[in-house]
Amino acid sequence: MISEEKLQILTESAKYDVSCSSSGSKRKNEGGIGNGYAAGCCHSFTPDGRCISLLKILLSNDCIFRCKYCMSRADADVPRATATPEEICTLVMDFYKRNYIEGLFLSSAVVKSPDYAMEQLVRTVKLLRTEYGFHGYIHVKGIPHADPLLAREAAQYADRMSYNIELPSEASLKLLAPQKSKESLLLPMKQLQREALAFRAEKRRGYFLPAGQTTQMIVGASPEPDGQILRLTQSLYRANGLKRVYYSSYVPVVHDRLLPAVGAKPMREHRLYQADWLLRFYGFTAEEIVEDDGNLSLELDPKCAWALRNPQFFPVEVNRAPLEMLLRVPGIGARSAQKILSARRYARLGFADLQKMRVVLKRARHFLTADGKFFGTENPAALRGLLTAGEARENAVQLDLFRELEAARTARTGEL
Amino acid sequence: MIYFYDGTKQSFLTALLAAYSDGEAVLSSRSAQLGLGEQSVFVHADPVRAEKAEKRLLRYDPKCMEDLDLLLRSGADDRDKVALDYFRLIAARKCPVRAMLAEDAVAAAEDCIRRVQFEVHRFHGFVRFLESASGALYAPIAPDNDICDLLVPHFRARLPRFPFVIHDVKRKRAAVYDGEHTFLAPLDRAEVALSADEGAWQALWKKYYKSVNIPSRERLKQMRGYMPVRYWKFMPEKFGDLC
Repeated sequence: MISEEKLQILTESAKYDVSCSSSGSKRKNEGGIGNGYAAGCCHSFTPDGRCISLLKILLSNDCIFRCKYCMSRADADVPRATATPEEICTLVMDFYKRNYIEGLFLSSAVVKSPDYAMEQLVRTVKLLRTEYGFHGYIHVKGIPHADPLLAREAAQYADRMSYNIELPSEASLKLLAPQKSKESLLLPMKQLQREALAFRAEKRRGYFLPAGQTTQMIVGASPEPDGQILRLTQSLYRANGLKRVYYSSYVPVVHDRLLPAVGAKPMREHRLYQADWLLRFYGFTAEEIVEDDGNLSLELDPKCAWALRNPQFFPVEVNRAPLEMLLRVPGIGARSAQKILSARRYARLGFADLQKMRVVLKRARHFLTADGKFFGTENPAALRGLLTAGEARENAVQLDLFRELEAARTARTGEL
Repeated sequence: MIYFYDGTKQSFLTALLAAYSDGEAVLSSRSAQLGLGEQSVFVHADPVRAEKAEKRLLRYDPKCMEDLDLLLRSGADDRDKVALDYFRLIAARKCPVRAMLAEDAVAAAEDCIRRVQFEVHRFHGFVRFLESASGALYAPIAPDNDICDLLVPHFRARLPRFPFVIHDVKRKRAAVYDGEHTFLAPLDRAEVALSADEGAWQALWKKYYKSVNIPSRERLKQMRGYMPVRYWKFMPEKFGDLC
């Protein structure tokens, strides 16, 4: 059994990786224990509001790389630990049996060399699948610069793999993570995408990354604007077939003159995730959401901001609007849109009906008509004030001399 | 008129037949306060009439008995009224009404069913098994709705070689998988002799829970929203937070 100290060290170095989902795999139980749960499953929630789905752990935090932002970098003075593959396997089996976790999220620092570290990861997941008979979810982190054959072998045992891009531009990568390069991250992604497609085309038995690939970017450690981050995200979804892009707002755990001393605002991360959802489920493009070198508004959610910039599309009539247009109404999500589609086949929907169906109208009422009636505000300035009012109070910030908040401007004109 | 029934499917269907034409009928499976001069009747399950009602309803909506099963599992105070209104509507329209979400009865029923299903999903994650000395797994739970047997297929599929018991301590019943069959049994209290390692694994789990948290980003309200305090009682990682 692994010691409590070791578990603590290896968990604390893994916890800043935000990916935790366990969805997308339908792996069957073939004897041993475990299976995939396509919808994903959260087993617990920590006081920081994040869910625990997978056992998130490093095999080792003994690193030869010197990425500036990382607490495990080679020149950092931190306690080091390395677990054996057997220790990890028994830990997973016993946690899984008690229903503490949905599977394993295994990563590693670059121990000795990229190939060595990747070999250890592959050894562990292979052992877990073949010797221990574990069929639950496994997410393996790819080590940049490791041999392509090792990545392919890992993919045969894992449900999902991820290479973390970490910094959204090559210049920042060079500055903050000098041993990583854009190619060392993108090439393995492309390779795995190619091999997964080939695997599926040949209809071979077994599994090859059934839950696909994901990646992660740190937001706020380098100067890239949201526009650039979202365009990169979009191209990763389109060209590289990624399932998810995660954003991690920068937390200063390391002091370095090249890094900002304060963390990124959690609201920025939140807005990026909202924008990411718009890309994946709502039919928006990155160009519609934010200009190239612009940032997302912190006061308004990205869909509201888009709707205010494009008043020519609104209001839409709930009884006639196609699904694509309903999805573009601020405040209406995928579930509400489906409810409306289903209910309007039987009756003309008025505002009272929408309320009954629990469609949230706080924002939506300004952008739609129900049975021809409109209950919103048409005056654009007042509308902007109404939409930002509640949010602005929650995220109130000290104004500085040269910046004027949009909400403050409308407050002065008296149209709240 | 208040129609009391015992909460089973058969007695619900019998009561539905009796109450159908009574516009002011109130259905109840729990104790209820009678109004002044109000009449009440206790409906006993009548298998013949119940089957007739079921056949008729199935002709209107082939999936409606699944809805009824979930509705009767609900722990909500108004579930008898919700179920009565929903099935009255099916009988009146003579077709599936599931998608008519602008109808009050349908919106209420959908809400009620969704809550039950959501709790099943939550408990797929929140169940905590204790390993007994014999290797069998035991999990006490206290859910809002009567769902302990609905959890069994999920765990049976992933732990086929482990016999397990999921014990609903609130309703004093247990869903049991003995390694081959699954069944429901009344169970008041269970004495479980734990395996030698159980304490050590729980300690490791608590350590993990503490280590994976990022203290500088505390968001307790969010945590409680996702994992309400009433579920913490049987989760080792939250024992310390319950006072």
